[in-house]
Amino acid sequence: MAVPAASRVTPTAAVPAAPGYPSQSARAASAAESRFRITVPIAPARNARVVALDPAAAAVARSVAGRPWAHARFYTCGPVPPGVPEGLALTELQGSGAPVPLPELLEGTDVVMVLATEDSGREQAAAIGGACWARAVTTAGVVLGDGFEADEAVAALRPYARVLLLSADEGDVVDLLTALRV
Amino acid sequence: MLRRDINELLTQTGPGTPMGELFRQYWIPALLAEELPENDAPPVRVKLLSERLLAFRDSDGRYGLVDEFCAHRGASLWFGRNEGSGLRCPYHGWKYDVTGQCIEVPSEADNSSFCQNVQLTSYPLVKIGDVLWTYMGDAAHQPPLPEFEFVHVPAEQTYTSKRWQQCNWLQAFEGGIDSSHVTFLHSGGLKTDPLFKGAKGNEYNMKDTKPFFEVADSEGGLFVGARRNAEPGTYYWRITPWVMPSFTMVPPRGDHPVHGHFWVPIDDENCWTYSFDYHPVRALTDAERQAMIDGHGVHSKNIPGTYRPEANMDNDYLIDREAQKRGDTYSGVAGIAMQDASLQESMGPIVDRTKERLVPADSGIIKARQKLRKAAIALRDEGVRPPGVDPAHHRVRSAAVVLPQAESFLDSCRDAVTATPGVAQSSV
Ligand code: FES
Ligand SMILES: [Fe+2]
Repeated sequence: MAVPAASRVTPTAAVPAAPGYPSQSARAASAAESRFRITVPIAPARNARVVALDPAAAAVARSVAGRPWAHARFYTCGPVPPGVPEGLALTELQGSGAPVPLPELLEGTDVVMVLATEDSGREQAAAIGGACWARAVTTAGVVLGDGFEADEAVAALRPYARVLLLSADEGDVVDLLTALRV
Repeated sequence: MLRRDINELLTQTGPGTPMGELFRQYWIPALLAEELPENDAPPVRVKLLSERLLAFRDSDGRYGLVDEFCAHRGASLWFGRNEGSGLRCPYHGWKYDVTGQCIEVPSEADNSSFCQNVQLTSYPLVKIGDVLWTYMGDAAHQPPLPEFEFVHVPAEQTYTSKRWQQCNWLQAFEGGIDSSHVTFLHSGGLKTDPLFKGAKGNEYNMKDTKPFFEVADSEGGLFVGARRNAEPGTYYWRITPWVMPSFTMVPPRGDHPVHGHFWVPIDDENCWTYSFDYHPVRALTDAERQAMIDGHGVHSKNIPGTYRPEANMDNDYLIDREAQKRGDTYSGVAGIAMQDASLQESMGPIVDRTKERLVPADSGIIKARQKLRKAAIALRDEGVRPPGVDPAHHRVRSAAVVLPQAESFLDSCRDAVTATPGVAQSSV
């Protein structure tokens, strides 16, 4: 038998508003209901690599690396072999000191944060940006200081970096990594 | 993610809290000028930064913002008689002027000096543009008046509305610098809203749904640049300025008026969203002004006689699942303003930021939180005056431009993001 239109119950009305609340949304947005949000520990979801492009950036990376992180690892980089950007080798700050080839560094990684203070790392920036792009690894560029000394490094990163944080300081690196739960 | 203690620091703005003290360094909107339309108009209850106040305009046109409650026995002065250059409590007749000074206590002898010692807490209230502004901090440090362009262009070029938002100020404000939600939540409006549609920039917006972001410090806060592909070799940039503590502007579209917001905490679980639209060099057309009054663009259609939106949490924001399915609106809620408010309010009165999973595209929000925290702590510990107090910091604009790929938006857009009287906005 057809249900008369007037008695049809919309899905919204199927969950009645509680007494004192005129609608489902009003009740759900209350402070009292906020207490029932499910609390489960949030596993660090990001496997981050932080790469310092120049000596001053490396000093910042070293300082940040000393904090407790779940999976984040910190590197400095060597020169880019002419014509072979993927031949770039990196050195883990708290590792054995043995060089790690760029492709190996990117294995299992889903976000790379590049730190720069000046332009000496522009070729490395382009190499890392391009390699990340090819592997669908999200890239974030953090430019420490006022940024004027690093405009070429920034330009090299710009096509690839999902986000560029300009005029940043060490606190930004910490806050960004903390917010990303790495 | 944000630590619990930092979330509390940023979201609590009552007297004596670090963020509350930070807000008390600035001139902030207290109410719209239209709420006190004439001398001796009925007084208006105003709750700001968790303080219950009363705004009134006396017989001589002076504005005052005073403690809502009578110093005698605490009756609300909202019931007061606004007459003869002051507000008189109807209970026992004590009378106050706009500075909160008691000027008459009828039960005392005629020439008694008693009332001279009775003073309600009061704050300056100044009309600039369509907004009445207040400064709730230490009188000795009162900064010069605000110089935001939307309140300084001629009246026929500007329109401001406000709406009550039922959540903490920070989660409302964060929507203003979160450029990545526009492509999703507001996608319907780009095609249909009379205050948005038709701009060339909208095509870039719709074609490239994965913008890249650049976040840079400005003197008063931040510039957040969102970049999308335009013609080969060029990028379409949308630049959003934030002036601390809570002023933002939306990048313009074509020759439509430019809009933006100012978020003001009422208490820790409610805020006012002020939404403005202005054109730097021409009067708003009748059609534009009517569209704003009707709740298009960034404005909301409010329940007549109130500043509460017609679509609100009590009616499930009038969500229309069919419109959602058809794609007329992305979430089923109509209008940019309520699309934002519905989701921000759905997070609860004060969202628990320890549960977030942020991504690099959220960097603008991450950086803004950091700047607020640093400024609040520097003020508390060292008395440092925060960015955004200096009126020079107010002279910013949003911009939408197409630039060659190699150019930095900051270098190329210095003029575009500076508010210069008589110069049109940079817009695509
Ligand atoms: S996708 Fe951002 S809150 Fe759900
Ligand atoms: Fe929005």
